[in-house]
Amino acid sequence: MSSTSPGASPQDMQERAAIDRSVRFPVMFFFTSAAAWLFAATILGMVAALKLRVPTLWDACPWLSFGRIFPAHMDALIYGWAMQAGLGIMIWMMARLTRVGLRNATYIIVLGHIWNFGVALGVLAVWSGFGNSRTWLDFPSMLWPMLAATYVLIVVTILVMFRVRRDGPVFISEEYLVAAAVWFPWVYITANLVLGAKGSAVMSAGVTVWYMQNLLYFWFIPIAVAIAYYIVPKVVGRPIYSYPLAKFGFWTLAICAGWMGFQRFYGGPFPAWMPAVGGASTIFALIGITAIAANLFYTMQGKFSLMQFSPSLRFSLFGMAMLLLFAVLSALKSFIGISKYLQFNLFELGLDTLAIYGVFSMAAFGAIYFIVPRITGCEWPHGGWIRRHFWFSTYGILTVLVGMFAAGLSQGASLDAWDTPFEVSVKVAKPWIVALVLGWIFIAYSNLGFFWQLALMFVGKGRRSEGPTLMHVAPGEAASAEQAANVAKGTAHA
Amino acid sequence: MNLDYQTEGARVSTIHHAVRREHAEPEAGDEPVRFVWLLIGAALLIAGGGVLGTYSGGFSQDQTYAFAYYSGAGPRPPGANGDDGSAKGPWIDVWMAEGKKVYGNCVACHQAGGSGMAGQFPPLVGSEYVDGGTKRLAAILHKGLMGPITVGGQSFNTPNLMPAWNTLSDEKLAQVATYIRRSFGKLPEGESGVVTTEMMKSAREEFSGLPSPLPTSELAKLDPAAHLPGDQVDLETGDSIGAVPADGEEKKVP
Repeated sequence: MSSTSPGASPQDMQERAAIDRSVRFPVMFFFTSAAAWLFAATILGMVAALKLRVPTLWDACPWLSFGRIFPAHMDALIYGWAMQAGLGIMIWMMARLTRVGLRNATYIIVLGHIWNFGVALGVLAVWSGFGNSRTWLDFPSMLWPMLAATYVLIVVTILVMFRVRRDGPVFISEEYLVAAAVWFPWVYITANLVLGAKGSAVMSAGVTVWYMQNLLYFWFIPIAVAIAYYIVPKVVGRPIYSYPLAKFGFWTLAICAGWMGFQRFYGGPFPAWMPAVGGASTIFALIGITAIAANLFYTMQGKFSLMQFSPSLRFSLFGMAMLLLFAVLSALKSFIGISKYLQFNLFELGLDTLAIYGVFSMAAFGAIYFIVPRITGCEWPHGGWIRRHFWFSTYGILTVLVGMFAAGLSQGASLDAWDTPFEVSVKVAKPWIVALVLGWIFIAYSNLGFFWQLALMFVGKGRRSEGPTLMHVAPGEAASAEQAANVAKGTAHA
Repeated sequence: MNLDYQTEGARVSTIHHAVRREHAEPEAGDEPVRFVWLLIGAALLIAGGGVLGTYSGGFSQDQTYAFAYYSGAGPRPPGANGDDGSAKGPWIDVWMAEGKKVYGNCVACHQAGGSGMAGQFPPLVGSEYVDGGTKRLAAILHKGLMGPITVGGQSFNTPNLMPAWNTLSDEKLAQVATYIRRSFGKLPEGESGVVTTEMMKSAREEFSGLPSPLPTSELAKLDPAAHLPGDQVDLETGDSIGAVPADGEEKKVP
């Protein structure tokens, strides 16, 4: 067996196969419904961007107004796509790492349906004008207890797996997954409870940004990092460079992230220490992100060429590169001299999109490219589609980021000149919004192939082959000599 | 533990290739944390501490702005046409209070009371440059000053030169000029001593060609009594009351 990993015993393989079988249905359920939500979110994103550029378009139809479409787009992206993809990845990865299979797949699938039902209800409510206009918490307030309870019941299985894990050292990804599992309910329930209490309206804006920042740093980023820490050693076949460094990164992030959020409101009507603490902890968190990036860099050293072939490796490491970019930009934005040109404007949308799509979604795609062949028993149909998925996603997210940076800068400079009418700040940003439209068109195009391939895999129509689908081999064709050598050495794994 | 699924016992040959070819579940090495990471951490801690120290306003619950957020002057001269202008008293009080803040730039040399330092820095109290027309005063503020000069009977010829303050906005310069004239100057009967932003703006344009710092020989060429052109303002509201200059002034305005 030229493609068998050296040193893997038949018992290991049997065990892996059994674990994969046990989680197959819930994980595929989460991946496919996440992909469907991503499709919806992408379409809504394109329409929202178009409406921002041409506000008079379809202005007779309230269903297509920006104020409804945009929050519906963001909520579908976060709760529909990202959280479900994340849950699927969490379940599979935790099962593999703890060597504990899932005993009750039906339980997860039922809860997955409830989650989907709740999100669908929420998105429809927002879309039909019953949202409550709190960024990322737009769902009508009666929905959050249901979503929180569903999430808790799902992650209980992950925590149980961790509790009954096989003896041995705990891998760093497990720590991130356990942390993300418990952090989200804390952040989500806290934010909703505080917002539900009839407090100051100003402070509810503050709570909302605290929630946004912590959803990014306490859920999206930990899961993206867990994916990278898992995929890199799996594909490269080396241990992670340093466990102490990984722990250092983890605890830095854990300690710093909860203080963030208010730095989005420098100069706002809050006691000055609140944004200051947020800004300082964003800079402190960069310490942890740098440690993560360094750890992965040293693990990869000398093996970067594998990124050419393995989609999982390329997507997840691209996500990590974007994570470093995101953390550096966020830290720079914590200085008032920079922040006053980049806050309260479209740059924040660019940065949030970078975190959700550039960091989390790209890492999640990497994990999905790794997981799905193992649980469906067939290979991805077409390397070319994976390649297009990668490149057009990259173009899309970078177009959004650069465009929103330019838009935000011109908008921010105009807002800073207090004697300039507000209208001017809207007008100067308008040309750059084309980048948002273009970016989402790229992302939509890039994902078409992904949806199609995932659907084929779902119905078992993937490629039947011994070799993985790599990014630079056409299906059915013989691998190049170099890749064949890589496969033989067991170093190239999809 | 022996879970049900483990007893399904698939034969190895039927296991999917992807599962067969993959590496064992990952592990982590035990390289220690290098010193350089602690250094990077320390550098970022210092940067974050700087943010915390500079912007936190001493962690007071009452402090909203712990920093100059706006790069220009305030969002609007408080009370000038603000919604709570009445609560802040007459416009001139606010204008003078702002001027006093800007005067913080001047106290090191001219002293808080405007007395200057004998032999080194000219006084503002009893200075003909403060008491006289606003044009010369504006020229000094915009361009700075160097060279021998006699102020209030004392002569100064020290290497200390006055820096140009044209980096401040016209509004701030107008506020400080008003503050100096009304606090330290001896103004002619009926003159309010107010210098408006508009006047300072005209001075900036008019003197843009002059060298900086301005030699005292150049300053001597300016008419000592000439005022800057511009409307006078109502001291209560800050609104313009038209070009009503003090007595005997109009002939000097070009």
